[in-house]
Amino acid sequence: MSFYTTEEQVYELFSRGGEIKKIVMGLDKNTKTPCGFCFIMYYSREDAEDSVKYLSGTILDDRPIRVDFDWGFQEGRQWGRGRSGGQVRDEYRTDYDPDILSNLCILILFFLEFARGGYGKLVQKELEAQRHLVDYGTGSLGSFPPVMQPQYGRHGGNHGHGGSHRHGRDYNRKRHREDDRHAPEMSKRTSDHESHRNSDHDSRPEKNPRFRESGDSDDDEEDGRKRRP
Amino acid sequence: MSSWRALILRIGEKCPEYGGATDSKDHIETCFGVVRRELEHSGNDILDFLLQCAEQLPHKIPFYGTVVGLLNLEYEDFVKKVVEKTQTNLQDALDSGDCNGIRICLRFLTVLICSKVLQPSSLVVVFETLLSSAATTVDEEKGNPAWQARADFYITSILSCLPWGGSELVEQVPEEIERVLVGIEAYLSIRRRVSEIGLSAFKELDKTDKVCDEKDFLEDLWRRIQDLSNTGWKLASVPRPHLSFEAQLVAGKSHDLGPISCPEQPDPPAGLSGATLGRQKHDAELKYPQRIRRLNIFPANKIEDLQPMDRFVVEEYLLDVLLFLNGCRKECASYMVGLPVPFRYEYLMAETIFSQLLLLPEPPFKPIYYTLVIMDLCKALPGAFPAVVAGAVRALFDRISELDMECRTRLILWFSHHLSNFQFIWPWEEWAYVLDLPKWAPKRVFVQEVLEREVRLSYWDKVKQSIENAPALEELLPPKGGPDFKYSAENGDKTENALSAELNGMVKGRVTAREIIVWMEENVLPLHGIDVALGVIVQTLLDIGSKSFTHLITVLERYGQVIAKMCPDQEKQMALIGEVSSYWKNSAQMTAIAIDRMMSYRLISNLAIVRWVFSTENIEHFHTSDRLWEILRNAVNKTYNRICDLRKEISSFKKSVVAAELNASKAKAELDAAESKLTLVDGEPVLGENPVRMKRLKSYAEKAKEEEVSVRESLEAKEALLARAVYENEALFLSLYKNFSKVLTDRLHDAYGDGVLQSNRADEMAIDNEGSSAMELDQENGRPKKSLHDGGRASNGYTIGEKEQWCLTTLGYVEAFSRQYASEIWPHVEQLDAEVLTDDVHPLFRKAIYSGLRRPRCDLTSEY
Repeated sequence: MSFYTTEEQVYELFSRGGEIKKIVMGLDKNTKTPCGFCFIMYYSREDAEDSVKYLSGTILDDRPIRVDFDWGFQEGRQWGRGRSGGQVRDEYRTDYDPDILSNLCILILFFLEFARGGYGKLVQKELEAQRHLVDYGTGSLGSFPPVMQPQYGRHGGNHGHGGSHRHGRDYNRKRHREDDRHAPEMSKRTSDHESHRNSDHDSRPEKNPRFRESGDSDDDEEDGRKRRP
Repeated sequence: MSSWRALILRIGEKCPEYGGATDSKDHIETCFGVVRRELEHSGNDILDFLLQCAEQLPHKIPFYGTVVGLLNLEYEDFVKKVVEKTQTNLQDALDSGDCNGIRICLRFLTVLICSKVLQPSSLVVVFETLLSSAATTVDEEKGNPAWQARADFYITSILSCLPWGGSELVEQVPEEIERVLVGIEAYLSIRRRVSEIGLSAFKELDKTDKVCDEKDFLEDLWRRIQDLSNTGWKLASVPRPHLSFEAQLVAGKSHDLGPISCPEQPDPPAGLSGATLGRQKHDAELKYPQRIRRLNIFPANKIEDLQPMDRFVVEEYLLDVLLFLNGCRKECASYMVGLPVPFRYEYLMAETIFSQLLLLPEPPFKPIYYTLVIMDLCKALPGAFPAVVAGAVRALFDRISELDMECRTRLILWFSHHLSNFQFIWPWEEWAYVLDLPKWAPKRVFVQEVLEREVRLSYWDKVKQSIENAPALEELLPPKGGPDFKYSAENGDKTENALSAELNGMVKGRVTAREIIVWMEENVLPLHGIDVALGVIVQTLLDIGSKSFTHLITVLERYGQVIAKMCPDQEKQMALIGEVSSYWKNSAQMTAIAIDRMMSYRLISNLAIVRWVFSTENIEHFHTSDRLWEILRNAVNKTYNRICDLRKEISSFKKSVVAAELNASKAKAELDAAESKLTLVDGEPVLGENPVRMKRLKSYAEKAKEEEVSVRESLEAKEALLARAVYENEALFLSLYKNFSKVLTDRLHDAYGDGVLQSNRADEMAIDNEGSSAMELDQENGRPKKSLHDGGRASNGYTIGEKEQWCLTTLGYVEAFSRQYASEIWPHVEQLDAEVLTDDVHPLFRKAIYSGLRRPRCDLTSEY
């Protein structure tokens, strides 16, 4: 199972929707490894809305992603972060005024998973959607048979049968990529874990980014949430 | 039987609601039949919904018009309401300057004439009102020509109606409509032609001298309308369902429209200085922007052969779908491919979408929206659309050296994103030849930047694999390595390594920032000096935060104060940026992110970033990579966002102040009323107003007053902050322009002399046969001419020298920054004139700024 998409990949894609304030990778409660979702906070609500509208259902790092508002956020949960983090963040775009916190927006980004059937279902949905699409075409383009061969790419439509094959390839390569950065950090992380057993999140910089708890220690909350979908 | 809502919504489509039938006559009869039955119970709902559909699915207006026409035969009062509501909507749209509202209401009214619902003469009155407003605006004595953008928009709106009802109007009120057309012709003769300078995606440099002969958008539309009129107002792209019901419809009573009014144009500024006029013109163009600027990227034999007016109509359809079905993916794609026209239009569709993606100064939506639409269309039309998109990419790539710098950036972001959604498949071997071009050649830079963005979205090995058809292109991939830490064990100075290790240990031991500052001041600075201290501390902290974006944030939040302490001034901050750039030299993305975050924490000022970008070693890379421009864009963008945030907050505080005032005065009035009741019965025992209530009212009034005062204070505080931000903004832009001027002056003289382009004129004369007047204009504009011939030549006939390309690229960014932030720059244009645009400034530099700001040139007043 590939959960190797990095924060930087997420940043590159989602910064096209607007200035990003923060990214929090979701982690599996038991293994402390990324488990296919993350939160993205924008400075502005409109940017967050646009990312939901325009990036949901697209592909990042070879996987379809789903983007939704973190509705839970609206119930004032944001204040929990400062409290549990033990410090109030002092970074704002207009860092004149801490009130700006109330403008934060959070998104959840799900990396749909291959093995648990999520991917297959999505393809189905897409196909259905496309059948639907063609049905609607009263008009000119839909009713013509395609006359031109696609000149580049096996575009569109072939996600389905291409999927498992690509998955296999990716899996190996990505494992490899993971191993590059991973092996030495694993041991380091373990020792950190031992020596700072009681420490708070301050020790995190030494850990593997992929195995990192988020910037604040509200993992429990997030773990609870991530199971929702 | 489907609900009336579904039937109204889906009319004219092949869909289950209509049993899959496609005959529009059936649709209209079915819809009419159901709607009339429901009219009694749900008249108001139907009215609202029908008008909403007509507004938001405007390509179906003819169907709605016909249904309304049929209803008019039996339910005159209902239809009267339709007409009245449309008129109200039109008036509101005119008052608020809602371009889409105006355009669509007028189209709907035109269609209502076809179905005999509306008196043709009353629409003519509307046209004449608009025409007269337009004519007044461009009148130099009575009006304010700076607002020509609105006048042009009104005329465009009138002309845009004619495809939908031109033949009916000409048949029913020939003289009146002729009068309108003559009026429009007269308007065209008194307005000024709108120049495309600064707004066209392609710098067709060989055409700048021809600009005076070229039709602008309105003249082009006028020509199309004349074409249409010559062919008897017949066109294939507008359905005319009312014709099937003509016999019935004539029996309906035609309604009248009340008068409408156009808002007055703002008064011209008192002093007729170029700057104030230019500012007004800029405001007007921002409010009434041109909807599309055609790219004409496809060769004539590729793009569908359509009547000029059909082309216009399909563009309107597509733009309307993009506008109203934004955020509604499936429907958007399905309407895009299913327009009610009897011809193919994939090329036109691709060109229209690309024209939006590359629209200057900015598209109606974020570029990622168009990215999504293109992806969806590739999936919806897998046999046809991907090839058309590929054709567009090739066409744009061939002319990349003429493409505006901002457009190049958008194209790079779009293309990398698009490919990342289609398995990175692209025939790179076609472009492998860019390796033979010099490293500053725009095509080579384009390929390199697309690959850079692909790597960011994916990872190095994946992208490497995707170019396996052209393995040599690996040379253009970004470096594969990670961070470059000065103090890693193998290399570096021993003492400094030890210091770094010591700091690392302290951070791991969660020492406070305070303690590190003490350590730095007592143990590092005195012994090793500031340079070493800065290097060790910055690099070590970056290294600790190198594993991810969040690690970086965490380190900066904990130890930002240490950096702040060391870098209080611009010089030190520039050194800090230098350290970041060196640590992350293998990753343009991480360099940009780290600098961006440091600016967020105010560890680095925007001015320091500008100075660093323009430092001697950096300017050498301006023409070969996007790395520095990205950093500069981020810095300016963040400054701009800060101002926008403050403005938003201020506007919401203003609303709160109004609400608080209202509250306070209400509480006060209540209290006063209660008090006066007491005084009336003065002397008597008080029974009516008990003291408890009085006390409560008093405390309410006090609280409300306090609240009002506190909101007002917050507002004032914000306004003070905004004043500071505006000041910072001004400083930023002045610094930006001064730096541009500084680096450009010598190089421009070096490459182009004094701007008259002596070296290129011989070349120019051989190619340009536009005549001597064109030549003169060319000298005046003083534009470098070489690049323009590149596009036309064999694809690798790139002949531009390094110096010239450096100038072209840098000037391109001058224009792009000026254009993107024109609204922020205009308020400071006097300072800009005084401090940057002095008499001795190079004409090419001046021209780039003027183009970006769309500022009329003093020596070319005719342009305005």
